[in-house]
Amino acid sequence: MVTSSGSSFVIETSELVKMYGPHLALDGVNLKLERGATGFLGPNGAGKSTFFKCILGLIKTTSGDGSVLGYDIRTQGEMIRSRIGYMPEYDSLDPDLIAIDQVRYSGELLGMNSKQATQRAHEVLEYVGLKDQRYRKIETFSTGMKQATKLACALIHDPEILICDEPTNGLDSRARTFMLDTLKKTVTDGGRSVLMSGHVMDDIQEVCENIVMIHQGRIVVHRQINELARQVDVEIEISVWGGSSKMQTALEERGMSVRRLGRVMRVKQDSPETINQILSTAADCNVQVRKLNEYKPDLEDIFLLIMERLGQEVKGAKDLMTEGHTGGGEDF
Amino acid sequence: MEVAYGSGDGDENASAKVSGQDASMGAIFEQKYRPWEGKLGPRWIRNYAIFRHHVYGIFTSKGHRQYHAFVRLSIVVIFLGALTPIAMLFLSSLFGGTEDELARMWGVNRYNLWGQVLGYFPRNLCFWPLLTAMVVGGMISDDRKNGTSAIYFSRPVTRTDYTIMKFVSVAVILGFVIIFSYVAYYTAAIVFRGEGWAYLVDTLPLFIAGLFCGILLVFTYTSIGLALSSISQSRFFSAIAFLSVIYGTKLVALLVDAQFDSSILYILSPYDCLAHIGQYLLGIELNYDHPLSLSIVSILLMNTISIGILTTRVSSLEVTRE
Repeated sequence: MVTSSGSSFVIETSELVKMYGPHLALDGVNLKLERGATGFLGPNGAGKSTFFKCILGLIKTTSGDGSVLGYDIRTQGEMIRSRIGYMPEYDSLDPDLIAIDQVRYSGELLGMNSKQATQRAHEVLEYVGLKDQRYRKIETFSTGMKQATKLACALIHDPEILICDEPTNGLDSRARTFMLDTLKKTVTDGGRSVLMSGHVMDDIQEVCENIVMIHQGRIVVHRQINELARQVDVEIEISVWGGSSKMQTALEERGMSVRRLGRVMRVKQDSPETINQILSTAADCNVQVRKLNEYKPDLEDIFLLIMERLGQEVKGAKDLMTEGHTGGGEDF
Repeated sequence: MEVAYGSGDGDENASAKVSGQDASMGAIFEQKYRPWEGKLGPRWIRNYAIFRHHVYGIFTSKGHRQYHAFVRLSIVVIFLGALTPIAMLFLSSLFGGTEDELARMWGVNRYNLWGQVLGYFPRNLCFWPLLTAMVVGGMISDDRKNGTSAIYFSRPVTRTDYTIMKFVSVAVILGFVIIFSYVAYYTAAIVFRGEGWAYLVDTLPLFIAGLFCGILLVFTYTSIGLALSSISQSRFFSAIAFLSVIYGTKLVALLVDAQFDSSILYILSPYDCLAHIGQYLLGIELNYDHPLSLSIVSILLMNTISIGILTTRVSSLEVTRE
């Protein structure tokens, strides 16, 4: 799908800089997001919220350009916010209202007339699983139901982009699964784009195919999650019994890279022979290998690895990342 | 069941299997994304939605902002209290001629028109400050407390529109009681006593002066009240702070006046500044020794400062998490 400007990207920014006084919140952000689900990761204060505020046209950027769905973020904020659904992380609901009225009012604030907003509020509340609770006061809702109501408020006008700020915060396992399924369905069935920020890597991995990592106002990684996972070293995870230290020393003497967590060790797989080498080392050391499997890195591993590396030199992301992590490209 | 009522020796591993599988919730639910093909309305529809949400809530609790039953009841009592001169006008039209005592006491004249809006007791001691305190209490502070500002600002509602519509909503509710009761009083005086065009021409300038005073009072109380509402997360604080400003400044000025025979500190009291201007406009004897210009400047300053605080605080309302 092509946006009103003719571009296939839903969000584009170029050298976006935002300064709060002397504090640099966004440092030359270059980003091109295609349709689909994208996860935003970064520690607190990394610039995620500032970036969202910039693309919603809520704050003035210090320099640089940007567009959302073809609309300029500096001059067409209202148009952008008409076509975006935003689900805040914290409570943003009037506890005295019943759910249907809250969702209807949020639709009216977008310019829907009362009849349209009421009809649509029923539809979206059903979609988020609150059909039977729509006439209950929000103050009686659980955290999961409040999150679902916020999602309904964001979806009422069928936005092209849905921005969710930590949508699974405070949810139990069942509510979390439902929320993530709903977001996935919004992308797959609804054909909408979802931008989701959070700290829980599993959630982002479950919904998103792309990931953007922000650190100290810079985009340090922007790739497909699967692609990124492939670029992290593959390891063989073994669980040993009777002589872990001896085994670790023996493996390292044979030139293998070992990470040890108690009786569990992860050995970097340099070649298909690695498994045989591990087993023969175990036999030589007279150590039992009770479990052996290929360890698949998840987003958490990738995130921690990248942040650990960034911690060594704050602004030197490009220098610190290996070609394997960056894919060898100009932009991560 | 074996665990609870079994005949074993009690040394076995006591565990009960409740269910072999997760029980079905018993609800048929098909989650289906439904697109919406409608068109969003222009800016005035969004602004009208804000206005309607706040103002209609006074009349009906369904679907609009919730005002506590006590607040709604108090507004009704204040409204009826403000309309009591109409009942007296009605009685005077039934029992007396043009010169009767009731007509002199309750009929249209400079003092009564001034008093209908700016009289201290009961209107500016009991009615208007309480009414304002109850209405503005949670108007903005609730948005800050509940985070509902995000509902506004993540949508195409600008902070200017938000502030203006909140202001207009409060002003309309106050105006409905204060201005409406004033207009109703004047209209009733003409209708009940069957007055003609000459009476209308004679009294219209006074009526318009009183109307201007009413609008100025509504504007001033609204701006001060909303400024206080915007600096807090507590509707109680906003209400108490407003009453403190109105009564506190009046009391201090009164004590200074009584002790030192100087009315200058009345320029700190919003009510007294308005009363001073109203006395001048309606041509009645001034109760204040200091120049009128000071009261005018004071009112202008109070409104400017209040609106300044209001806009500054509204601009600090957040959309995203800090």
